[in-house]
Amino acid sequence: MPPPNTPRRSSSVDSAAQSHLDYLDLDLGEAVPNIPTSAYSLSPSAPRQQHLHLGVDRQPGGSLNRLPEPNLPHTVDFRGLNYADTVDENLLCPICRVPMVEPVDTACDHTFCKDCITEAFKYSNLCPIDRFSLTNTDLHKAHKIVTNQLDALLVLCPCCTSPVPRAMILNHLERYCKDALVRCPGQACRDTVKRKLYGRGCLHYDVSCPDCNMIMQQLEMADHRERDCQERLKDCSHCGDVILRCKEDGHLEKCQYVPASCEWAEYGCDYESRRKDLAEHADVCAFKFVGPMATILKKEINNLRSEVRTLTEKDHIKERRIKFLEGGFGGQRDTDRPLDYADLPSQSLSNLADSSHADPLDSGHEYLLSLVEAQETKVDRLSAGMTELEAKQTMMLFNETIQIKNELAEMRSSQQVLSMHVRWLLNFRRQENQRRFGAGPSSGGGTDGGGSSHDMPFPRRLSDTMNRDLVTKL
Amino acid sequence: MASSQKRITKELAEVTSDPPVGIKVSLVDESNVHNWNVILDGPPDSPYAVCLLSHTSSSLANSKLIQGGKFKLLLVLPTEYPFKPPVINFKTRVYHPNITFDDKGSMCIGILKAEAWKPSSKILSVLTATQQLLSEPVPDDALESAIAEKFKSDRKDFNAEAKKYTKQYATGK
Repeated sequence: MPPPNTPRRSSSVDSAAQSHLDYLDLDLGEAVPNIPTSAYSLSPSAPRQQHLHLGVDRQPGGSLNRLPEPNLPHTVDFRGLNYADTVDENLLCPICRVPMVEPVDTACDHTFCKDCITEAFKYSNLCPIDRFSLTNTDLHKAHKIVTNQLDALLVLCPCCTSPVPRAMILNHLERYCKDALVRCPGQACRDTVKRKLYGRGCLHYDVSCPDCNMIMQQLEMADHRERDCQERLKDCSHCGDVILRCKEDGHLEKCQYVPASCEWAEYGCDYESRRKDLAEHADVCAFKFVGPMATILKKEINNLRSEVRTLTEKDHIKERRIKFLEGGFGGQRDTDRPLDYADLPSQSLSNLADSSHADPLDSGHEYLLSLVEAQETKVDRLSAGMTELEAKQTMMLFNETIQIKNELAEMRSSQQVLSMHVRWLLNFRRQENQRRFGAGPSSGGGTDGGGSSHDMPFPRRLSDTMNRDLVTKL
Repeated sequence: MASSQKRITKELAEVTSDPPVGIKVSLVDESNVHNWNVILDGPPDSPYAVCLLSHTSSSLANSKLIQGGKFKLLLVLPTEYPFKPPVINFKTRVYHPNITFDDKGSMCIGILKAEAWKPSSKILSVLTATQQLLSEPVPDDALESAIAEKFKSDRKDFNAEAKKYTKQYATGK
């Protein structure tokens, strides 16, 4: 069997119609128990072509098959659905007499279910209403207004019987219906379970009924104990009524014949009798007046207690804040002094005095606020001073560097003058040498050439090194 | 086929819950929706109604005294329904030009002819058409030509014959 979410498409119209008719009879039998009507089925293998007319753009492999865990794809036989209201005669298919499923228009302007008219064509190619000659190609999807009306029809969900618009029924079953089947949450369990029971974990294990000892799955136990169990009924030992065993606890809480203690037992009344007799006792109980009073007082005390608790908490928080602020205050003053901002605290204190004088009730808050304000102004002043200092520093630095720069420029120029001198001297000397040795380059070329080539780099090297030295010195 | 069964069940429910005047429908066999027993009352203004009190007082005004003859019909719906027409046979003998005067009681009615049948026709309309046929025979399309001839030539005699046979066969006994 393919995984339940595998996309499937029906290949041709004919096979789709045929398979549709097949799965009308689809009997899931043991595989899916407790299916209320045959109109509904889990469909691991049934074709999904029913979706096409729904106006929901569900493509094979698209959103349709991306149901979040643990939802299962469902199939609904739209012809088997029960409608919440009587459906307008005009929306019924003339062939199958139920509200049309996948309506198509014929060339002669009649509307039928797609499957019905396809089926009719197997017998004759005449329109089932006016016997107009038709072919398969004369069929067109019915007008949107028809499909919309059909989609809006309220159908009763085959599982939970709540009315749902027909177009939403699959979505309802697959995602929301409390009675629809979903995958069992059990890790190894491959069974299905109603959605409303999903939260209770895998219920597919055998237990024995506490009433009749019959062994069955936990899943069916609740139903069994309520409806099927042979031993499900029991006579209440107090009132004699016939009750369900599984509801015994609930009954005992209400049963009028169960012994119960007086309403005011907790305040000291020790009267006990059957529940129905308590009303009589209530009139004569000594605690008749004290009881309600005590209840009110108890409530009041509880309220006050919780109030006190919150207030104490608040107080703690405030105390901590005051301590923190005072600490910060003292520390701040120490760092202020060298910067001559020591006058600030006195200012804030005077503020405090003023405010406390003006509004004594809020003095605590005022005090804290003034402290905060003082701190803020202090911080402002500090930052202003910082900026000023920074400006001064920059100016000083600037002045200093200008001198250095000037000197540097001076030195550079003198260096250049010097190097010019040196170059002039070197040139002069080279010319001298050339004049001295280069008079007859043809006669003594061998030795002179070597000599000149030997001499030439020397002054150059000299000038180079001089230059380098100058640069490094500068 | 399931879809045809569904439609038949639906139509059966319609006919039984809100039966038209003079038509009673039941299933031959509860487990098979394809075979219907139909009791058709002869229309009061036709020779297929019988007067209960006396033979002479044929006043139509006093319609309470007149009771339609009870005609038993067997309606068989083919498995191909609604694509194939249902078949109706009169189990009660009827003296009528369009119904064979024998045990079979075949009926000739336009709506049920294979080439004239439309899947959109309902059983209810077939039954009312049958009722209509009793009041208005179609002698030009007769199965019993002798009866048709009598119907055309001597209406009085035809009525008397029809009444006689109705009394003989269709008093619901």
